[in-house]
Amino acid sequence: MIKTVIKRDGRQVPFNLAKISTAILKALAQTRTSEQLKDRDDFELEALANKLAEEAARKITVESPDIEQIQDAVERVLMDNNLPVSAKSYILYRADRSRARERNTKLMRTLADIVHSSAKDCDVKRENANIDGDTAMGSMLKFGSESSKQFYIDNMLRPDIARAHEQGDIHIHDLDFYSLTMTCCQIDLVDLLSRGFSTGHGFLRPPKDIRSFAALACIAIQSNQNDQHGGQAVPNFDYAMANGVRMTYARHYRTAMREAIELLCNSDLAADITLPEPPTMSQADDSAFKTREAEALRAAGVEEQVIERIQAFARMHAFKATDRDTYQAMEALVHNLNSMHSRAGAQTPFSSINYGTDTTPEGRMVIKNLLLTTQAGLGDGETPIFPIQIFRVKKGVNFDEGDPNYDLFKLACEVSAKRLFPNFAFQDAPFNAKLYKEGHPETEISYMGCRTRIGDNVYDPSKAQVWKRGNLSFTSINLPRLAIQSHGSLKTFYAQLDDMLQLVRDQLLDRFEVQARKRVRNFPFLMGEGIWLDSEKLGPDDEVREVIKHGSLTFGFIGLAETLKSLIGKHHGESEEAQKLGLEIIKHMRDYADRCSQETGLNFTLIATPAEGLSGRFVRMDRKRFGCIPEVTDREYYTNSFHIPVYYPISAFRKIELEAPYHELTNGGHITYVELNGKMADNPEAFEKVVRHMALHGIGYGSVNHPLDRDPVCGYRGIIDDVCPKCGRREDDGGPHFERIRRITGYLVGTLDRFNNAKAAEVRDRVKHL
Amino acid sequence: MLTVRIAGIIPESIVDGPGFRFALFTQGCPHHCPGCHNPQTHDPNGGRTISLLALMRQIWQNRKNLDGITFSGGDPFCQPEPLYHLARWCHRLGLTVMAYSGWTLEELRAKPECRLLLCELDMLMDGRFILARRALEMRFRGSTNQKFYHLRHGQVLSVE
Repeated sequence: MIKTVIKRDGRQVPFNLAKISTAILKALAQTRTSEQLKDRDDFELEALANKLAEEAARKITVESPDIEQIQDAVERVLMDNNLPVSAKSYILYRADRSRARERNTKLMRTLADIVHSSAKDCDVKRENANIDGDTAMGSMLKFGSESSKQFYIDNMLRPDIARAHEQGDIHIHDLDFYSLTMTCCQIDLVDLLSRGFSTGHGFLRPPKDIRSFAALACIAIQSNQNDQHGGQAVPNFDYAMANGVRMTYARHYRTAMREAIELLCNSDLAADITLPEPPTMSQADDSAFKTREAEALRAAGVEEQVIERIQAFARMHAFKATDRDTYQAMEALVHNLNSMHSRAGAQTPFSSINYGTDTTPEGRMVIKNLLLTTQAGLGDGETPIFPIQIFRVKKGVNFDEGDPNYDLFKLACEVSAKRLFPNFAFQDAPFNAKLYKEGHPETEISYMGCRTRIGDNVYDPSKAQVWKRGNLSFTSINLPRLAIQSHGSLKTFYAQLDDMLQLVRDQLLDRFEVQARKRVRNFPFLMGEGIWLDSEKLGPDDEVREVIKHGSLTFGFIGLAETLKSLIGKHHGESEEAQKLGLEIIKHMRDYADRCSQETGLNFTLIATPAEGLSGRFVRMDRKRFGCIPEVTDREYYTNSFHIPVYYPISAFRKIELEAPYHELTNGGHITYVELNGKMADNPEAFEKVVRHMALHGIGYGSVNHPLDRDPVCGYRGIIDDVCPKCGRREDDGGPHFERIRRITGYLVGTLDRFNNAKAAEVRDRVKHL
Repeated sequence: MLTVRIAGIIPESIVDGPGFRFALFTQGCPHHCPGCHNPQTHDPNGGRTISLLALMRQIWQNRKNLDGITFSGGDPFCQPEPLYHLARWCHRLGLTVMAYSGWTLEELRAKPECRLLLCELDMLMDGRFILARRALEMRFRGSTNQKFYHLRHGQVLSVE
C-alpha cells in the first residue's frame, strides 16, 4: 500500500491517486482515435483512467516509491490492458518531460555557477574578457545570456543545427542575441554629426565645436552599442572630427581678430565691426585671401599700419587655441570611451576608430592630437584599452617620405610601439585597393577592431561602400574535427566540409529571416537615427528586411594549423605542401561563400574568426571525443583562424609572408599579429620595418604585439618578469599586481584575470617572432 | 681562414640596436663589470670559434630582413681584426654596423689595433657597465655613463 511518494527533488509527499489518473487520462485523450478507444465517450475514458491508475498503484509493493517506479508501473498497466498506442504516447511524453528537465537542470547549474563562484573559478564568467563577470550587472548579463542561448537552442534552431552547435561541429556566434539584433556597424560620423540626433530623451543639435564633436562621437558609439551585440566602429574619424576643428578654428579666429582690433585700434570699433569671413586653416597662408581680408578690414575702418599685425595675431592665436582644444577633445574622447558603459553598465562599448588618410590641416590636427593623447596614456599613465585605433596606411598619402601624412605614419608607429595601438589597415592590399573609388572616402577600407571587414555589395553593387554597413551574423566551422574524422583522406574531408558549409548556409539564412522581420522601432538608434545604410528611408513600423541586405552573412573557421597537422602531419609554418593545402581549403570555403552570394543576392563572406570563447570550447569537446592527439588536440586551445601556431618559433617576416595570402581570401575579415619581445618603445625602427613588411606582402590588417607591463607602485613601464627592475618589488610581496596589457581577439585587456582558461594558456604559449 | 671566438648569435634581434639586427656575441672580456648581463662571455678561452665564412653565410640568408649587425659580447674589441673584415663585408650588403665596448671611445682611439674596426662602425655604445648607474629608461644601454655614438669614418656625427 503506497503511503508517500519520493519526488525528483527528494521531497517526500503524501500519495495522491488522482495525479496518476490525470496523467493516464492525458495519454488516453491524446490517442482516443486509436482502435481501442475510438468508441468511448469522455465519461468512459475517465472511468478507464481511474481503473488503470488503481491497477498501477496495486502493482507497487513498497510504501514509498519514487516517481520513476510509478511511471514504470503505469507503462506496464497500459501494455497489459492492450493499449499500445496510448502506452507509446505516455512513454514519449515521459521522455519529453525528462529532456526538458535535463535542460532545465543544466541551465540551472550554469546559473548557480554564475551566482556562487567568482570569475576566477568560472570560465563562463570570463567568456568575454571585456566584461567583469563579478559585478552585479555583469552577472545579470550572464543570466540573460545563458538562458536565452538555451531558449534558442530548444525553440528556434532547426534540430540538426541545434545539435551541430551543441556538439561543437559549428559555433553560432552571439547565439544569446539570435533573435534580437545584428553584429556590428561602421558608423558614419560625418553624416550623423552634420544633422544631429536623438538618443531617446531629446534632440542633440549638430555640434559646433571640436569638443562637442568628440563628446557626441562617444554618445553615438554608446547608443549604437545598445542596439547591436558586436563592435562599433567609426570608419571616418579624421574626416568627421576635422569638421569640428574647422568650426573651432573659425570661432577662435574671429575672437582673436576682435581682440587684436580692440588692443591695436579702439574698443568701439572692436564692438561694432563686421568681421570678414575667417579663413580655413589651409586658406590662412593664401596670399590672395590675405589681401582680400586686408581690404575688408581697411574698408571697415581699421588703420593701415596695424592690419598686418592683426592678421598675424589672429592666425597664430586661432591655430594655437584650436590645437589645444583638439588635444583636450581627443583626451576626453579616449577617457570617455574607457569609462562609459553600455548594456546596463556591464560592458564598455567595443569601440574602434579608423583614420589616417585625411590630409587637410584640420584632419591632420585631429590625427596628431589623438596619437599624442594615446601616447600620454590615461590619468595615471595607463595604456588606454579603448578605442581600438586603426591607422589606414596608403601610398601617396602617408606611407613614404614626402607623402603629406608621412609624419603621422611615423608618429603612429612610435605610439603603437609604446601603446599597442594603433593597428594598421592597408589600403593598397590588392583586395582593398580594388574596392576604392577615387574621390569616394566611403570606399576606403576600414576594419572593426576585432578584424571584421565589409566591402563588396552583391545586393546593391552601386553601394559597395564601407560606411554605414556591417556584419549581420557569423558562424564558425570546427575545421580540426572534420580533419580528425577524415583520417587523412582529403576526399572525405572536403565532402564533410561541404556538408558543414551547407548547414551553416541554412543556419545563416534562418537567422537572417528572423532578423529581417524586425522593425525599425526595434533599433531606435541604429535604424531610427539612420545609422544603417538606407534605414532613413523607412518608417518606425517598417520591416528592416531590405536594408539589412547591405550587411554580410559570414562563414568563419578556426584551427587551420591543427587541421593541416591532422591531415598531412605538418602545419603551414612547417611545410610548403601544408601551406598549399591550407590555401586550397580556405579558397574552397571562400568559393562556396561566393556561390551563396550569387544564388541568393545576399552578401555571404568568409571571416578568419576572432575566437575568444571558442578557442577552448571546440578543443575540449574534441579531446573528449578523440582523445589527446599530439599537436592537434593536446593544447588548451585551437589556433586562431589561419594563424601560424603561437607556440611555433618563426621569424616575424616569414609569418607575415605565410599569412598574407589568406587575407586575400577572407573577405569578411582577417588580422595578422606579430609577437615581438623587448621594449618596442625603444626600437620604433624595428616596429616600422614590420609594418612595412606587412604592406609589401599584401596584409590587409595587422598589428604588432609586444609585452606592455607596468608597476603601479613605482610607475616603471617596460617588461617585468617576476621582479620590477626599477624598484625591485616582487609581485607576490603583497602589493598591487603588475599590470600586464595583452591583446585578446583584437581587444586589449588590462588584466590577466579576465582571460578565459584557453586564452590564458594561449598567451602563455606565445613565442616571440624574432 | 679568419675565425671569431663567439658566445652566441641572435639572428634577428630588436634589443641590440635600432631596427632588426644580427647580434653577434663575442667571447672574452677583460672588464669584469660587476652585475654584467653575460658573465659567461668573459673567459677568453670559452665559447666556440666560428669561421667568418660561416657567419657571412648566415647573414646573407637573413639580409633582406636586417637593418644591420651588432657586435656585442664579451668585448668585440678583443678581436678587432676578423670583425673589421666582417664589418666591411656587411657594409657592402648595405647593412649598418654597431658595436658595444667596455672601453670608451677615447680609450679605443688610443689602441692602434682597434683603429680599422672603429672606422667601420656606424654606431658605438661605449663604456663599462656600472651597476649603480643602471639605466632602465634609455634605449639599448646598460648604465647611464655609456654613450651611444653615431659615427662615420671614426668621427662622431652625434651622440644619443
